[in-house]
Amino acid sequence: MSITVEFFGIPRQRAGVAVAVCPGERLGDVLRDLAGRFPAFAETCLDLGSSGSRLRAGFVANVNGERFLSDPAATLKPGDSLLILGADAGG
Amino acid sequence: MARSAQIASDVPCGYHGAYLRVDLTSATAKRVPLGPDVLRRFLGGVGLGAHLLLREGTAETAPLSSEAAIAFVFSPLVGSPLTTSAKFAVVGKSPLTERINDSLASSQFAIAGKRSGVDAIVLTGRAPRLSVVVIDDGKVELLPGGDLAGATCRETESTLRSRLGSDFAIASIGPAGERLVRYATISHDGRHAGRGGHGAVLGAKNVKAVAVRGSRRAIWARPEELYKLSKGISQRSFGPATAKYRELGTAANLLVFNRLGALPSHNFQQGTFAGAEALSPEQLSVTRDKAQKSCAACTIGCEHIYGVRRDGSDDSDAAPAAVRMEYENLFALGPLCGVGDPDVVLGASQKCDELGLDTISAGGTIAFAMECASRGYLDAPWLRFGDGPALLRAIDLIARREGLGDLLAEGSRRAALAIGRDALDFAPQVKGLEMPGYEPRALQTMALGFAVGTRGADHNRSGAYEVDFSDRVDRRNAGPAAAALAVETEDRAAIMDSLILCKFLRGVFGDFFAESSHMLNLVTGWDTTADELRQTSRRIVNAKKLFNIRAGWQPAEDTLPQRFLRDPLMGDPKAQLTPDRLAGMVRAYNLARGWTEEGWVRDPETV
Repeated sequence: MSITVEFFGIPRQRAGVAVAVCPGERLGDVLRDLAGRFPAFAETCLDLGSSGSRLRAGFVANVNGERFLSDPAATLKPGDSLLILGADAGG
Repeated sequence: MARSAQIASDVPCGYHGAYLRVDLTSATAKRVPLGPDVLRRFLGGVGLGAHLLLREGTAETAPLSSEAAIAFVFSPLVGSPLTTSAKFAVVGKSPLTERINDSLASSQFAIAGKRSGVDAIVLTGRAPRLSVVVIDDGKVELLPGGDLAGATCRETESTLRSRLGSDFAIASIGPAGERLVRYATISHDGRHAGRGGHGAVLGAKNVKAVAVRGSRRAIWARPEELYKLSKGISQRSFGPATAKYRELGTAANLLVFNRLGALPSHNFQQGTFAGAEALSPEQLSVTRDKAQKSCAACTIGCEHIYGVRRDGSDDSDAAPAAVRMEYENLFALGPLCGVGDPDVVLGASQKCDELGLDTISAGGTIAFAMECASRGYLDAPWLRFGDGPALLRAIDLIARREGLGDLLAEGSRRAALAIGRDALDFAPQVKGLEMPGYEPRALQTMALGFAVGTRGADHNRSGAYEVDFSDRVDRRNAGPAAAALAVETEDRAAIMDSLILCKFLRGVFGDFFAESSHMLNLVTGWDTTADELRQTSRRIVNAKKLFNIRAGWQPAEDTLPQRFLRDPLMGDPKAQLTPDRLAGMVRAYNLARGWTEEGWVRDPETV
């Protein structure tokens, strides 16, 4: 199953791309795949613990611009767009 | 005062134990003691400012009258090695909202002001002619300022530093403040105490600038531990929690908000903007030179200053040499007015800086006027959405109060009331303060924050948008459960704005209240706890609310314009807020604050 990942802000700066396509059925699967492909992104944005990959405090994921996710076990559907962005929206 | 002597006195470390009260009418000043109990209960900055204004009776005065007081308030942390602590608050009654207004700015004025040997400077009365208030180590003098009439903020600072000495720090108003534009700013070193029109309050007092210099340092109770703690916080401030501000600046919000349908455009008629990519910092960094700058005593360095095009194709008169760009400038002078040309947006932002205009209120009021013109409510066919030259022209007219600019200088609420029909329904303001760049139908906890904000629609005293950017609420269908979460963000802001620390630092703290009480104790020698600081935050919010009640606040003010309660957001039918749902959130908020369901403070005397 393919998920389109859209990076924003610092995650985009670290990944070096705006969009990537990843396999995965759960948030943690996608993050693990991204960690292997984008090491600088992983170093800044991810906690790669034994319990699975999750976004560090300060970063959040959102599905299709609709709902925010934090649980690595959260499920995704084919065709979903996963947005990865900073949690701090201060302006 | 020697350290041992201060510790033995009743003046707490970190403070001078007094404020300077300047009567501009008689050109006299006196030093007024501040007891340790007041300082501990209100800390400094916004908290101490609210207390001082309640004491001065400013709530009951007209904001542009000579009786109204305006306070420049320092803090226990300014001058310390703690990163981002070089900040000061300006607190007064807003000529835009007729409610309390507390705006912050940064850098050397805060340090020099505190070194003048006081914890605050309160200006009352009215100088007989345009003047400069000079405070040199606590001694006050009013100098003639007539030759500075019409000068921009930058010109005023430059002239006064040449005249008085480069060790003076200067806060000044631009032409907009002199002409009493109700959203004029007070500027220092290119930064602004921007919201709510403090610049007009100074203008009404015939004060073009305040210049401060001093040599009196407040001492710290436990300096060795304070240095060690400061070093640790500085190191943390280089980490991921502040990377956004350091690398991209606040303008990084633009593409995120656009993707989430939360970027207000065309006077809040839409939540996306087709030209967002060209205005984004990611794109501007490619097409232009960029420099970075920090406030004094800051390790984050959030200021991103953009230059003209690298390809030499820039031939616009409007294009500035270098412009600081923040999300709010970008949103208000770009998408909100339908303008997508980066040169125009940068030029408009620089105009506002130089003239001393709040960019949010300027953009909001002009966008409102553009919609009025498009509906035929205003006879200004030249003022169209997306028309860059029209935007620049409108800014000039406002600052000079010429033609249509005289009406728009009053802000969108007063302009709407003058225009009539249903204009008030789409004037983008709460309590008269124009809304910042967070579409409230798409970010509904923030909608609550806007509705209940003591200074009006506000993203600095409420961080409720953080709740919307989480899985704790449905951002497009929020309910009363969001109220307690919104209160938490306000409480944290009340402490940050009183200590004072920059909010961009907030992500580095694990337990904010515990860490804040620790740093306060190292400076002052007190034994405050996290719980005490939480109580202090509630007291400060109560003080601001009490000011508003004395100024005539009514529960009906805590709402949003009809547009946001009637119409779903264009292109996103799920983003809809109803009057009943917002009212339910406001009631829950009031109860969570310990107020009556309507929002009245139960025990005002305890404040």
